[in-house]
Amino acid sequence: MNSPALGALIFAVLAAPSIFAEEIVVIVSPAAKPISKEQISDLYLGRGGSLTPIDQTAGSAIYVQFYKQATGRDVAQVKAIWSRILFTGRGLPPKQLPDSAAVKQAIAANPNAVGYIEKSAVDASVKVVLPLD
Amino acid sequence: MSPQSLKETLHRRVSRIAEPQILFPLIAVVLLAATWGATLGLVRIKHAEAEHDAATLSHELLGTYEAQVVRVLHEIDQTLNLVKFWHERAGMHGTLAELKDRGLLPPDLVFSVGIADRHGTILESTRPLGAVSVADRGYFRDQRDGDSIRVGHLPQGATGDGRVPFTRRLNAANGDFDGAVIVAVDAAFFVSGYDASKLGEHGVLGVLGTDGIFRVRRSGDSMFSGDAINYSSLLPKPDEVDADPPVSLSSWDGVRRWSGAREIYGFPLAILVGLAQDEQLAAVEKNSAVYLWRAAAGSLAIVLFTALLGRMSWQLAQSRARESESKLAHAQRIEYLAYHDGLTGLPNRSMFSKLLSQRISEARRYDRELAVAFLDLDRFKQINDTLGHEAGDQLLQEVATRLQGCVRDSDTVARLGGDEFVVLLPELEDGKLAATVAHKILGVLAKPFTLIGHEFRITASIGISVYPRDGQDEQTLTKNADIAMYQAKAEGKNNFQFYSEQLNANSLERLTLESSLRHALERDEFRLYYQAKRDIRTGCISGMEALLRWEHPDLGTVTPMQFIPIAEETGLIVPIGKWVLKTACLQSVAWQNEGLPPFGIAVNMTERQFLDESLLQDLASILKSTGMNPQLLELELTESLLIRDVENTLRILTGLKSLGIRIAVDDFGTGYSSLATLQRFPLDTVKIDRSFIGDLVGPAEDSGLADAIISMGKSLSLTVIVQGVETKEQADFLRAHACDELQGFYFNRPLPANQFAQLMRAQTANITYVGTRAGLQNQQP
Repeated sequence: MNSPALGALIFAVLAAPSIFAEEIVVIVSPAAKPISKEQISDLYLGRGGSLTPIDQTAGSAIYVQFYKQATGRDVAQVKAIWSRILFTGRGLPPKQLPDSAAVKQAIAANPNAVGYIEKSAVDASVKVVLPLD
Repeated sequence: MSPQSLKETLHRRVSRIAEPQILFPLIAVVLLAATWGATLGLVRIKHAEAEHDAATLSHELLGTYEAQVVRVLHEIDQTLNLVKFWHERAGMHGTLAELKDRGLLPPDLVFSVGIADRHGTILESTRPLGAVSVADRGYFRDQRDGDSIRVGHLPQGATGDGRVPFTRRLNAANGDFDGAVIVAVDAAFFVSGYDASKLGEHGVLGVLGTDGIFRVRRSGDSMFSGDAINYSSLLPKPDEVDADPPVSLSSWDGVRRWSGAREIYGFPLAILVGLAQDEQLAAVEKNSAVYLWRAAAGSLAIVLFTALLGRMSWQLAQSRARESESKLAHAQRIEYLAYHDGLTGLPNRSMFSKLLSQRISEARRYDRELAVAFLDLDRFKQINDTLGHEAGDQLLQEVATRLQGCVRDSDTVARLGGDEFVVLLPELEDGKLAATVAHKILGVLAKPFTLIGHEFRITASIGISVYPRDGQDEQTLTKNADIAMYQAKAEGKNNFQFYSEQLNANSLERLTLESSLRHALERDEFRLYYQAKRDIRTGCISGMEALLRWEHPDLGTVTPMQFIPIAEETGLIVPIGKWVLKTACLQSVAWQNEGLPPFGIAVNMTERQFLDESLLQDLASILKSTGMNPQLLELELTESLLIRDVENTLRILTGLKSLGIRIAVDDFGTGYSSLATLQRFPLDTVKIDRSFIGDLVGPAEDSGLADAIISMGKSLSLTVIVQGVETKEQADFLRAHACDELQGFYFNRPLPANQFAQLMRAQTANITYVGTRAGLQNQQP
């Protein structure tokens, strides 16, 4: 690997969180039960769970950061995982909503739904169950 | 070959196999063959199993993959048809947005949906399609002419994010071409089910068009698109749809795979699945290598083990062989010892006995004669006693050698024990032959022997019996040869005798005598008689000689001539001689105590007595116990005995003289001894043999000889006695020739002690010449 490429990689790894510096939190409906980080990871990687995951737009900054923090996977890996699930017919990827407001709205409306938004966007309609960092 | 010999041959072969040098290599070969046979068989079986498993797996994967692809294709086609329906019906913009809102479109993750107008210009899309117009694309152009699903393909190369477009035609209300619906699917999506745990790094999963162009294919993590192949050979034959696919060489990457293809019904597509041969067999080949190494290690162990066993077995066999060899040698030695005499190496009595029986049988069969010659060395015991056993053994060995030199090879010389030898002449062509051989034997034995530095002469007595005349069996022949041999001894030794019936009779008598002689002492059958010696001038008794008589209860009086030789031979003479000495001394002492004059008393002594080691000791104790004055005791020894071994004689005589005993030479003049020799001995008396005076009154030469002998005795200052004076003439002659004393029947026959005592008393009372004429008859003394 040449050094510009290495530099770019290091930049990407280090810079990514600083660009989307805003803290992401996992939210559920106020009536829902607490949930662990492992449950979140399983839910978003199609490994099962009784809750309904709600996603943000694929490739968006919050999407990238969420998967990194919640599952430790990058976008390509997540895509490969869901492609495989989809191809083998074992499930469908989480529904993608255009922004955090839509997510909040969907969560508030569905006690079984789980989503993630910027911490700053949290309001009383939802409950934070897991801050990510 | 007869069944018997076949069986034997077989048996021989089988026993040969049991020999260690055959058996252990054979075992090793069998074990090696078994090991390698089992190993190679196992390897082959495992290999076949692995191949079968791989083929089966590829078949299953093909089925699974087909089902997945078919489902996905149907979803895609459903989407195409949905969009087409909505667009044609509504005929307006926003179809896709509305469908998406309603959740009727497939996930954005891998699917993009777009609509192109009749010119190929993209009117709308769920995601950018990467191009503004698709007018020049084959999948779009084709829709102008037909109404079926079309699938585009990526340019040749790595797949990357490339998408595969699926299209359907849009119709205007009048049925004219009005554009196309496009669903672009991530090419990678079709191979996202690639499971490395089953397909490995070099398996293949792929989707291709019926045009032969790969939409995507994946091996490991590498995905390619756009290259074309001829997949028809990979399709199952119509009647073998369920068969496992065979191994073939993949044209695109040169890997050998179990690969199969299926065409998808209703779509211009096919799928391809392949399992790389090397990967699928890697495990079993690794195992095979392990098996082969184990077999090699096992082989080495087998070889080493059997080599070790073989070596141990060989050593065992060697030691067994050595043991049996030594046993055999030992047995042979034992047998040799059992049949041979250890000293001379000659056959012994057992062997001789066997040989003789054998030879007798042969002689009987061929009507031949054979001779058995018994040989006994004369005086052997004395040699043994005086010179020691070593000298005796040496003599026997030399005798054995000389005897063997006398006979033919076919004859046998054996040693029966002691100084007894026997010669077996099995082929007697001529009766004289036995005599010739006997003569020859006497001749070779007569030559001097040198023992411990001294020269000796010995003689032998030989008795011969001849088959069939003297006996028909072994016992009789040997017994008769023995009898003949005793006869030869009786005949004065140094001669040989043939057996005769007469001899047998004599021999019986002799045996009888010998056995009763053994008991004669304890039964008190011996008596001493006394014969007077008279002074030649006064005629008075001057001494006496004690003579032994044997009063046998059955045979009456047995003369010394008859029993002394037997006593001498058997050694009985020693105790008898002691009895004689003691009795004579006791008698003499008793007479002196009676007041009779102390006359000298002479006692004869044989060779055996003289050479007896305890002679001097015995004499001393007899003298002491009886109180006898030794000066009165005179021992008579023959001249021939004295000169046999001069040094030894001198030693014994000196001993006798130191006891104070007188010594007389009996039969003086018969031994041809030189005056010088006689002079060395401490003698007191010489007794002249009667043979010299037999014809004293006859020719002048005879009387001259007697005169010379008497003169010789006188010149040695010895008392001279003449024995066997039987006539007055003889007495007169001797008186005239200055002899000292006379002894003989002319004067006195031997008398029992009581009668002799009377004689002495009479003389003491009336000292006159008492010339009794009694007993002039010629009786044995």
